[in-house]
Amino acid sequence: MEPVTVYSQYAWLIPVFPLVSFIVLTAFGRGMRSAGMLIGMLGSLAALVLSVLVLLERMTNGDSPEYNYSFDWITIGDFQLNAGYDVTNLSALMLFVVSVVAFLVNLYSAGYLKEDERITVFFGYVALFTFSMLGLVLSDNLLTLYMFWELVGVCSFLLVGFWYTKPEARAAAKKAFIVTRVGDVGLLIAVLLLFWYMPEHDLSFAAIENVFGQTGTIAQGITTLIAILIFVGAAGKSGQFPLHVWLPDAMEGPTPISALIHAATMVAAGVFLVARTYSIFEASQAAMDTVAYVGAFTALFAATIGLVQNDIKRILAYSTVSQLGYMMLALGVGSLSGGIFHLFTHAFFKALLFLGAGSVIHAVHTQNIHEMGGLGRQMKITAWTFGIGALALTGIPPFSGFWSKDAILAVALDKNPFLFAVGILTAFFTALYMARLYFLVFAGKSGAAGKAHESPAVMTIPLVVLAAFAALSGFVELPWAGMGRLGAWLTGEEAAHSGSGLVLVVSTAIGLLGIYLGWLIYVKGAIPRDFISSRAPWLVRLLERKYYIDELYHAVFTVGLRASGRALDAFDTYIVGGAVRLISGAAVWAGRAGTRMQNGQVQTYGLWTVIGLLALILAIAGRRFW
Amino acid sequence: MLPSYLTMAAILFCIGLYGALTKRNAVIVLISVELMLNAVNLNLVAFSKYGVVPSLTGQIFSLFTISVAAAEVAVGIAILIALFRARGTINVDEYDEMRR
Amino acid sequence: MPEQIPWLTVLTFSPLVGILVLLFLPKANSRALRTAAILTTLVPLVVSLWLFAQYDPSAQAGGIFVEQTPWITAALNSEALNGVASYVYEFQYYLAADGLSLPLIVLAALVATMAAFASVHINKRWKAFYIWFLLLETGMLGVFMARDLVLFFLFFELTLISLFFLIGIWGLFNREKAANTFLIYNGLGSAIMLIAFVLLIVTAGFQSVPDGEAMRLVYSGNYETIMANLADPAAYVNIPDAQANGSNPFFMSEGMRWLVFILIFVAFAIKLPVLPFHTWMLRVHAEAPPSVVMIHSGVLLKMGAYGLLRFGVFLFPQQADDAAYVIALLGVANILYGAITAFVQNEFKLVLAYSSISHMGIVLLGIASLNQIGLQGAVFQLVSHGLISALLFLIVGSLYERTGTTDLRELGGLARALPFMSGVLLTAGMASLGLPGLSGFVGEFLAFLGLFDSMKGVTAIAAVGVILTAVYVLRSVLKITFGPMSERYAALNDARLIEAVPMIALLAFILLLGVYPSILTDSMQHGFDRLFEQLNSRVGG
Repeated sequence: MEPVTVYSQYAWLIPVFPLVSFIVLTAFGRGMRSAGMLIGMLGSLAALVLSVLVLLERMTNGDSPEYNYSFDWITIGDFQLNAGYDVTNLSALMLFVVSVVAFLVNLYSAGYLKEDERITVFFGYVALFTFSMLGLVLSDNLLTLYMFWELVGVCSFLLVGFWYTKPEARAAAKKAFIVTRVGDVGLLIAVLLLFWYMPEHDLSFAAIENVFGQTGTIAQGITTLIAILIFVGAAGKSGQFPLHVWLPDAMEGPTPISALIHAATMVAAGVFLVARTYSIFEASQAAMDTVAYVGAFTALFAATIGLVQNDIKRILAYSTVSQLGYMMLALGVGSLSGGIFHLFTHAFFKALLFLGAGSVIHAVHTQNIHEMGGLGRQMKITAWTFGIGALALTGIPPFSGFWSKDAILAVALDKNPFLFAVGILTAFFTALYMARLYFLVFAGKSGAAGKAHESPAVMTIPLVVLAAFAALSGFVELPWAGMGRLGAWLTGEEAAHSGSGLVLVVSTAIGLLGIYLGWLIYVKGAIPRDFISSRAPWLVRLLERKYYIDELYHAVFTVGLRASGRALDAFDTYIVGGAVRLISGAAVWAGRAGTRMQNGQVQTYGLWTVIGLLALILAIAGRRFW
Repeated sequence: MLPSYLTMAAILFCIGLYGALTKRNAVIVLISVELMLNAVNLNLVAFSKYGVVPSLTGQIFSLFTISVAAAEVAVGIAILIALFRARGTINVDEYDEMRR
Repeated sequence: MPEQIPWLTVLTFSPLVGILVLLFLPKANSRALRTAAILTTLVPLVVSLWLFAQYDPSAQAGGIFVEQTPWITAALNSEALNGVASYVYEFQYYLAADGLSLPLIVLAALVATMAAFASVHINKRWKAFYIWFLLLETGMLGVFMARDLVLFFLFFELTLISLFFLIGIWGLFNREKAANTFLIYNGLGSAIMLIAFVLLIVTAGFQSVPDGEAMRLVYSGNYETIMANLADPAAYVNIPDAQANGSNPFFMSEGMRWLVFILIFVAFAIKLPVLPFHTWMLRVHAEAPPSVVMIHSGVLLKMGAYGLLRFGVFLFPQQADDAAYVIALLGVANILYGAITAFVQNEFKLVLAYSSISHMGIVLLGIASLNQIGLQGAVFQLVSHGLISALLFLIVGSLYERTGTTDLRELGGLARALPFMSGVLLTAGMASLGLPGLSGFVGEFLAFLGLFDSMKGVTAIAAVGVILTAVYVLRSVLKITFGPMSERYAALNDARLIEAVPMIALLAFILLLGVYPSILTDSMQHGFDRLFEQLNSRVGG
């Protein structure tokens, strides 16, 4: 074995650590409190350390062969289904992102959920999620990935429904599971298709890359179909339109979970999946366009909704949907490195924003931004770090989001000016809703929620660490020749940067404009807050109701399913059951008729005898004429 | 000549059958049975006179039948009286012992 | 282990020995009776697990356990054919366990043990209960092993009768009606099966055996004979007329094959159940005592699928191949119909009943695929669903004992009062909706994968069922466990040890099969070889 794969060989241990934590917590966790937290943190810390080592190894040997190990999971006749893991540059990067955020969230939760009586259960779930997510990232084939894919879904479900006594949490958990399941079916069918179309029935990513890398092995139509089905799966997980509805509702879960699962890691799994199977998409222009347009539409669509929401977490949730749309847009216009770069930076600054929001909620016990205000003076660390996150999200240099968003916009301008325009417009809305959020929460007078004080160190340390990442992680890839290290490392060739100052200037200007507008409205009051709502109330209403998508789905799917269920139930009771009753009724009737013949009276018997005799005579005599 | 005798016998038989199957009173049922027997007797006598091979056998047979019928009525009435004593009725509808 | 011990016989009839022991125990001592019953069910469990471990699928001939001896011989007419031959019926005591039977035998033994544990909720006439219970176990173990049609039929009937009494005496309020419905419906199925079997015995079961000077012309119920004779007219041994005029009066015509295939399909479709023969099952699920439903849903339904495979598909591969599309469509209908109807039920037991219908649809899909992957998926799904539904009804039993209701409208928030049971229920629900890592996924996935080769559109529609399954499972399970809890449930106690043991055991098996499915699929590796030989020869010829 080559010496450069020392740590990669043991990469399978990374998910095992949190799994062990989960098992220990589930089996012996009852009655534990601080010990339980410690077990959870240790598991994620161990995973983090090994992930960092693997990442360093891959960084120093960027073009060394990828480490792959797989074994037969099921063998059936001549067919084999494998399971295995694969350490590539992409998976090493994802390992790092996941384990960093997971560890910080573990740390943060120790403060955030200190009072909760089921805290060990929480840590157990988080450990299980970390295991599944790390496993997903490491999977070397689509089937293994699908399995972990479902597992992260179920962990998300469990954690969204963590406060299970609340009916809203129950509904949100159910919705999260079912809506993502719709996408999962797409992915499942894609797996089935790939199994039968791939040579040797090989589902591994390496084989997929080989086969789809060269044209002609698999027909164009099938390629497009597979790619689109995979994208359906990715859209379900990553909250792309029209499967985005679960993600904002998932904010019913504890805030650290929103940071870990619904901002940084699991929702990015869709982007990761598309990146992992990128060769399929590259082989089909139609699929690429689908990804790009759906991504761009989702980005804009979610950003507009984010403008009018009043729940701090929901604003961030729509922002997440919007940013995931950016990533999809990047992938769709052919920039793998742009998409992953934005995933990387977004993971940090969005986790930071959520944890910051959690810190605020922890202090004021409300999620309504209109009830907050002036918190900047009382919660300095939170305000500063949140501000860094907000600037990174808005795309103000030199924070990370600026560089990654710029990478996407530059490619979009190159490939499709329309998508570039959508991206710029989204960036403007992003700046506007973040300014609104920030100024309403941290600036101005104290709100209805009253006094607040800074969160304990166990919660602020993760904020500071993440703020550092959010500020600096953008420098791994700069839009000048020779500086695109991340892209070069990921794809083997440096992305062709236009390096045009135009995109840099325009996106910065748009960001600043949005913030300035927000400042004018929410701080200075130069523009009245009801400027739009007084002139076009229907528009605000439309946005507040989230374009009535939920209502539409409810009317079509929930009501439809219930109606068809009722109809089938009635069918079952009356038609199928009725047929059964009819047959049994006929048997009973025949039996009754038989008993009536035998009533014990000689005269009746005599009558039947005569009838029988006549029937016999008729039968015998009738035969002559037949 | 034969058809008119046979028709007469058939009518007699049907009246007897109707009575035997429908009458409530056991005595009338017994008398109806007698009617049916007599219809048979009529047939026997008619065939013995106008049949394909006329002979006395039929007439002798009818004598047999009459005597057997007399015995049957005697036994029948006796059973009926016994039944009447036991059940207090001669209504055949209530004689449903066979069902139990 | 000594070779001369007839392990299959020991496996099948050890519950009867247990009955003898039970007869000597005082009838009021429920604890002693239960202990004896549990210990008795452990014998087949241990033996079957041992056989499963011993089974070596690669050694095809030696890998199958066989016990065979003549059993019933009835002479028909010794003077036939001028004294040179005699006609006899010969039925054998013929047990065998191969890669297809063994997983189901283990399943039956395991679920029986778990159900014996769960019978802690039975509250009257314990002695009679356990006697019928053990008879039922003998019957179902025998069904999976019998290779003589008459023997199979007897074991099959044994399960019917014992289940009839188990439902009729220990069921809930409408128990008698449920028992009657059950018996009539299944009796009808048995009657149809009997007709098919008789037709098979008098045609394909024919063979002539030299017996000294004379010939013995035997009508036998031997499965292997019938299978060989059906496959190939040349396989008939020494047919006197056949050589003479070249035609074989015992070789089944095409129309006859279709008739028998359809009869067998209907007979086992009632058991499975396939739409529209499912109404009896709903009543059984709702009325029978939960521990009996564990066996019923966990094992007895599987007899339908097993019989369909063993006597339908294996004996008539051509017919099965031609009917594959119909079978697949029935499967899809089962999946969607069961799932959609389950969604609106308010009685949890009915949700589970419709869920069983839906899951049996997946089995039909696997069967319809007629390839290695799909068939293994079907069997895997049988085992997996057996474990999962046994677990679910185990929980239903424990829940009902505590809350006195299984109506979804009255339950809610039990995760607070019963955290352990709720966790198990949630996990079982997840397994039922096909979460990877638990056994339900593997069966479902393999069945879809197998069928996808030949019928892509049908599979894609069936895959929609995956969403619907999630919808109804989550609806009912979350209704019970999540949400606000009614005050009257606050004082409930979580699972006792005797309830927790079978729950954990079943969960462990579900998890094991989900994580390491090879343990099951490897044993089936050669279970379908002969079927494919015939199918391939058809394609080739």
